[in-house]
Amino acid sequence: MNEFVETLLSLTWHEPRSSYDVVIIGGGGHGLATAYYLATRHGITNVAVVEADYIGSGNSGRNTTIIRSNYGIPESIRFYRHSQVLYDRLEDETGCWIMHATKGLIWLAHTESAMRAERARCQLNNAMGVETVLVDPVEIKRLCPQIDLSGGGRYPVLGASYHVPASTARHDRVVWAYAQGAMERGVHVLQQTTVTGLLRDGDRVVGVRTNRGDIAAGTVMSAVGGDVTTIASYAGVRLPVRTHPLQAFVTNGYSQGFGPIVSDTELLCYISQTARGQMLIGHEYDREQSYSRQSSFQFLQANAVKMSYLLPFVRNLRILRQWTGRCDVSADFSPIMGFTGVDGFVITTGWGTWGFKAIPAGGEQMAELIATGRTPEMIAPFALDRFAADHSMADQGSTGTR
Amino acid sequence: MRFALDDQPVDYVDGDSVAVAVLRAGQHPQHGGTLCLTGDCGNCSADVDGVPFTRTCLTPARPGLRVRRHPAVGAPPLRLDPPANPVTSPSQPEVRVQRVHADVAVIGAGTSGTAAAEEARTAGRDVLVLDGDAGDDVVGVYPGPMVVVRRDDHVLHVHAHDVVIATGAAELHPVCPGNMLRGILTAGAADLLRARGVDLGRTATIDLADLARFDGADGRVTAVVRHDGTSEPCDTAIVTAATRAPRDLLARMVDDPRVRVVGPAAQRFDLPPAPVDGVVCPCSKITVEDLQGVWDKGFQHIELVKRAALCGTGTCQGGVCMPHLRAFVTDRSGEPAAPFTGRPASRQLTIAEAAADVHLDAFRRTALHHEHLALGAQMDRFGGWWRPWHYGDAMREYWAVREGVSLGDVSTLGKMIVTGPDVVEALERLYPTTIADIRPGRSRYVLLLNERGHVIDDGMVCREDEHRFVLTFTSGGAASAEAWVRDWVETWNLDVRIMDRTVSLGAINVTGPLAGELLRRVGVEEPPRFLQHRHLSVAGVDCHVMRLSFTGEASFELHHPVAHSVELWRALMEAGRDLNVVPHGLQALFALRLEKGHVIIGMDTELDTTPRRIGMEWAVKMDKPYFVGRTSLGRTEPLPDHRRLFGYTMEGPAPVEGAPISVGNRIVGHVTSSFTSPATGRAVMLGWQKHTPFADTVTIDGRTATVTPVPFYDPEGSRARA
Repeated sequence: MNEFVETLLSLTWHEPRSSYDVVIIGGGGHGLATAYYLATRHGITNVAVVEADYIGSGNSGRNTTIIRSNYGIPESIRFYRHSQVLYDRLEDETGCWIMHATKGLIWLAHTESAMRAERARCQLNNAMGVETVLVDPVEIKRLCPQIDLSGGGRYPVLGASYHVPASTARHDRVVWAYAQGAMERGVHVLQQTTVTGLLRDGDRVVGVRTNRGDIAAGTVMSAVGGDVTTIASYAGVRLPVRTHPLQAFVTNGYSQGFGPIVSDTELLCYISQTARGQMLIGHEYDREQSYSRQSSFQFLQANAVKMSYLLPFVRNLRILRQWTGRCDVSADFSPIMGFTGVDGFVITTGWGTWGFKAIPAGGEQMAELIATGRTPEMIAPFALDRFAADHSMADQGSTGTR
Repeated sequence: MRFALDDQPVDYVDGDSVAVAVLRAGQHPQHGGTLCLTGDCGNCSADVDGVPFTRTCLTPARPGLRVRRHPAVGAPPLRLDPPANPVTSPSQPEVRVQRVHADVAVIGAGTSGTAAAEEARTAGRDVLVLDGDAGDDVVGVYPGPMVVVRRDDHVLHVHAHDVVIATGAAELHPVCPGNMLRGILTAGAADLLRARGVDLGRTATIDLADLARFDGADGRVTAVVRHDGTSEPCDTAIVTAATRAPRDLLARMVDDPRVRVVGPAAQRFDLPPAPVDGVVCPCSKITVEDLQGVWDKGFQHIELVKRAALCGTGTCQGGVCMPHLRAFVTDRSGEPAAPFTGRPASRQLTIAEAAADVHLDAFRRTALHHEHLALGAQMDRFGGWWRPWHYGDAMREYWAVREGVSLGDVSTLGKMIVTGPDVVEALERLYPTTIADIRPGRSRYVLLLNERGHVIDDGMVCREDEHRFVLTFTSGGAASAEAWVRDWVETWNLDVRIMDRTVSLGAINVTGPLAGELLRRVGVEEPPRFLQHRHLSVAGVDCHVMRLSFTGEASFELHHPVAHSVELWRALMEAGRDLNVVPHGLQALFALRLEKGHVIIGMDTELDTTPRRIGMEWAVKMDKPYFVGRTSLGRTEPLPDHRRLFGYTMEGPAPVEGAPISVGNRIVGHVTSSFTSPATGRAVMLGWQKHTPFADTVTIDGRTATVTPVPFYDPEGSRARA
């Protein structure tokens, strides 16, 4: 057996029951992590995670695996930094190898206004205990010798913010680590189970209707991506969320040779080398809203030309595979976590392009919310009612979108 | 004719592919593995002319090619040196793109493809046949539908009404012990090599159903061994099979009613027997043991098996392993396993090929661009334009504005003429400020709000006469201003004419206490008074002169036909020579306006900034019956607000922009703009507080700063009016 196979831990499948304390809709990172933390931190194991396809089939298996906390508002920095810390411990805690590697993230700036934004980012990050430092072109060249500092003669590099603790992990393995840990403790994960409605008792949500029958639940949590507005509508909850496709691609696998993660604040594209040696390249989400998962050639063209400007060596690499996920983007580009105003129905959504890095903290905090019935302080700013209260968490500049 | 394989010469015969030539020379393009020689697998891929993962069976042999085998263990090197400049190096030609349109694009020129093409032609449709044998290497079928094709010397983008996928079926590769030896061919590959006159030595032909294993020595096959225990010695093993596998990757990657799949590509073939031992996925060297390993660990879904074992994620994208993987999962689960998801690219194009013929937006330059360069400007892109950041010494430019006279190129401002009987009504609805009482010849500062009540831009409204106004917008807001104004006017069905003059008018800001003196020298006897505007001849150029002040000093914006920008600029520079006129860049401008406490939209504001959050309720007349954003402000203004942009001052040098603002141990916000202000002798700042109650004293950069009303400089505004 090769090492990828050998190092996997076993998944323990269960026969479904008709009733659980908690039913989590969506067997991706957030859903499984919530189940894991319910089991490990709160001793709540009478939990089912229902998944329409197979675990990790949604955005958890379609992202570009970057873990960072270089955000622009304190509430976000605190949350994502906490997630980084949980990621750092995840392999030890679960015994699962998630191929976690700290690489550092270079956010390139090409204009004085971009430099200004990166300077501000460094200031606030450092004040919050997050190591993000402003680096000049000489230092950038040292960190990433492959960069063309002239940006192909078109996007000269003025500097960058360098987020030292940025890391990557194998997305599938994060999903499986949480799945394995939860299932081992008795959590049921039900694949090929599509939620088609919510069971109501008066105003309260008391379970889910699925293609395989009804399942009763004390609490229902939606952790779905892409179809979240549909699920929420079953509970009569309106969400300020729109859905855009997000595309990425990998090249064939080459020997290791590209250390950092490089991202561009203006061109909105990013690149890193995976543990398998592939160059993994992503981009801002598609401008058009859609639920489609079809990949486009236009995406490939735009990204290819931008990367050729920044890192000319990529021109000769071959594009192996493209794919597309769905981003749920909230009105303020921050996530929505917590109560919905409907008893028995809680939600974690609005994960846009930034959900992967948030899996541990999002899961841990939602588990605490479900277990205690109270909103933990760390995620209180991200409650759904912030929009009605005109108290949004606007931080688009930190999301790699525009 | 020869090319180089691992730096050794290889002879080839005209018409050989690289793979055929390599086999003719008794070698293998990799270190072993079954070869199909039709592009279905990745077992012949090698580094060709510096590009690894090139299918050598699809690469015509050419003199001088440099072919390098991938390492036997591990991946080919990541070459970090950039490829040669395509302009200067003939070995790196710029990739050409050809775009074609067709009623029907048929992928495949076999029996079913030919029939589909014939049928479409008979129906009078324009048909393009893409034939792999003729060198059409189809990368993908994308929504549109659009077909991307690699060809020997260019990339073809096919835009078709309908696409027919007629890619046929592929021969099966054997999965058994020894299947990564050299000397194993599919029947099709053997036919091809024989036709090319390649000596296969002693051959043994065996059906997949009978095959137990290959025996070998020194990495080369020596015999085939059947399930019945019999063995047949050979130099070349030829594998046949009763079944095939649909070439359906292109079909699986697109979901479009205008894409049709015909022939064997759409056919359901019997699966081969479940593999027992050997390499299933040669691209990633995944064995049956690996598949069994993940299955036993609970990964019991074809997508999970693929992802856990990484089977089918290499060059051939499942071309080789799919039937065997499906057979494995079907056998273990007892239910027929569908193929895993198909994704582009079917054939690996290089990033250079994907980037070919793509051009990003150009950045705009003002008419004075070369004047700035000649004056030594450090240019920066701001709001989509190249603009002077400084001319070598921003503080010198600052002092020229405060104490003398200076020129600024503000051609990038949005400029719009609006006229018509309903123009006042339209502007009253567009802006939260009162418009009707602006007298001709006067102007007023305005905010622009979106429907959500958030500030999206600011500018000036200048009234020329009863039914004619000139509007200005910020450089960043200019690009969307015309559509914004026009769309609202159309929505309201008001009789208003709009002309966007952003790029047809240049604008030069003459600012400083000596600005009036400089204007007198170029023929302006009576410049307009503060917040007034007039049409005047300046140095012989017809100008619309607006007097306002962003810098805090007397300022005259000279809006003029862009063809005269250089002439006007030079005349002003010349006339001001003994006044020591210098131009100023954005860096000085940002400092000057900060001393005046002027907010820059997008720099000091955020996505959801309402007027009261920046202390500008005075620019919003909620007693107006309607303006864009009023409904939203009506809802949110009564709510408690926890955000406010304040001015701050403190002793000592200015903190870095972005510095956190704290109250006690709590970070309550950050500095959006800062400057060590010589005019006030203090550090001056704008910055957010996002927690209530708002504090009068805060900590910035470890020092105490005091909330201070703006403007910091000349609060009475006497200098701007002087």
